[in-house]
Amino acid sequence: MFRLQGSKVLAVDMTGDAVKAKNGSMVAYDGQMAFKKMSGGGEGIRGMVTRRLTGEQMTVMEVKGHGTCWFADRASEINLVSLQGDKLYVESSNLLATDAALRTGTSFTGLRGASQGNGLFTTTVEGHGQAAIMSDGAAVVLRVSPQYPLTVDPGAYVAHQGNLRQSLQSGVTFRTLMGEGGGEAFQIRFEGDGLVYVQPSERNTIAGDV
Amino acid sequence: MAFREINSKMIEASVVPGQRLFSQRGAMLAYKGDVSFTPNMTGGQGGVMSMIGRRVANEDTPLMTVEGSGTVLFGHGGHHIQVINLAGDTLYVEADRLLAFEGTLQQGTMFLGSQGGVMGMVRGQISGQGLFTTTLKGHGSVAVMAHGGVFEVPITPQRPVHVDPQAYVAHHGDVRNKLSTALGWRDMVGRGSGEAFQLELSGSGAVYVQASEEKL
Repeated sequence: MFRLQGSKVLAVDMTGDAVKAKNGSMVAYDGQMAFKKMSGGGEGIRGMVTRRLTGEQMTVMEVKGHGTCWFADRASEINLVSLQGDKLYVESSNLLATDAALRTGTSFTGLRGASQGNGLFTTTVEGHGQAAIMSDGAAVVLRVSPQYPLTVDPGAYVAHQGNLRQSLQSGVTFRTLMGEGGGEAFQIRFEGDGLVYVQPSERNTIAGDV
Repeated sequence: MAFREINSKMIEASVVPGQRLFSQRGAMLAYKGDVSFTPNMTGGQGGVMSMIGRRVANEDTPLMTVEGSGTVLFGHGGHHIQVINLAGDTLYVEADRLLAFEGTLQQGTMFLGSQGGVMGMVRGQISGQGLFTTTLKGHGSVAVMAHGGVFEVPITPQRPVHVDPQAYVAHHGDVRNKLSTALGWRDMVGRGSGEAFQLELSGSGAVYVQASEEKL
């Protein structure tokens, strides 16, 4: 029921069911819709407190009704992800909408998060259904298999799903310390089996400066 | 059809003798052939009276007249461009979103208060349209700018369409619009969903919506 209209607009056909979407991202709808803000991402008191503490706040609204609703946010490119019981890791600022049936939560990312410039925690989406994630420019989906690990620039990383282990790789050498670094001092390495979404643009990160 | 989309941000217009085009001043990127660009003091069609009307209404985007024979490329500020073909109906659009339009179209200004009275004026303020909007009527095509891609939502009498005022670009056809508020107690205590005001469009026609909540 999620479909893309162009690459920047998400259309959702609803028949009495609900979706969770980023606050204020509705651009148009027909039929009957009700919008309700969900405090703390709709995860109850515990989820709300966790989000406050971890800085992974997201303001989510629940959209419910009959008809078609269109979502878009600052002309970002939108990618559809379908989940069959697996887990999607995405930054809360890159998450546009999810099926109401999907559970969202927070998870600790360690040093990798800090190198990406968006904190030590990330948002997880879990269950069966569809999610829409946003990227700056059209994202590419790269497959990681046990034989082929993948290394990504932290600033270009958007999301990943599947059974992946990640580690922070540093290419800091004597030259970096002298201020002669290549601008690629940190990378995230993914090993295992899964998919990684990469955008053709880099956020400002600490890693990008050295 | 005078306009051809080259890519999502650039259009090509063919100019033939005896047919004028109007375009936003400075929006020409390149041209082939013998084409002249004259700044249009009156800011569009009609005489001095309509110029005064536009000045008063603050809908007086600087326009230029394009005449001659050849082809012209238009684009502006990297904005996305949507070409809308009109067949006798009226297009309502903000003057600063207009990139170019054919001389066969009749340009006018409309007072938003005339549609819905005081609520019409409130609606104009909220959607950033001001108190007036530009109308184009007749047969011909119009190139409209928007931030991000544009999509068209058809409006039928059975299915009114609600649009976020910030994402609204233009509409055409026989459409009534009013501002609908979904203000509840949640908005009062700062727990709003961010969708408190919506433009409700009903009738028959189409509305153009951009993929962004940013103005031009």
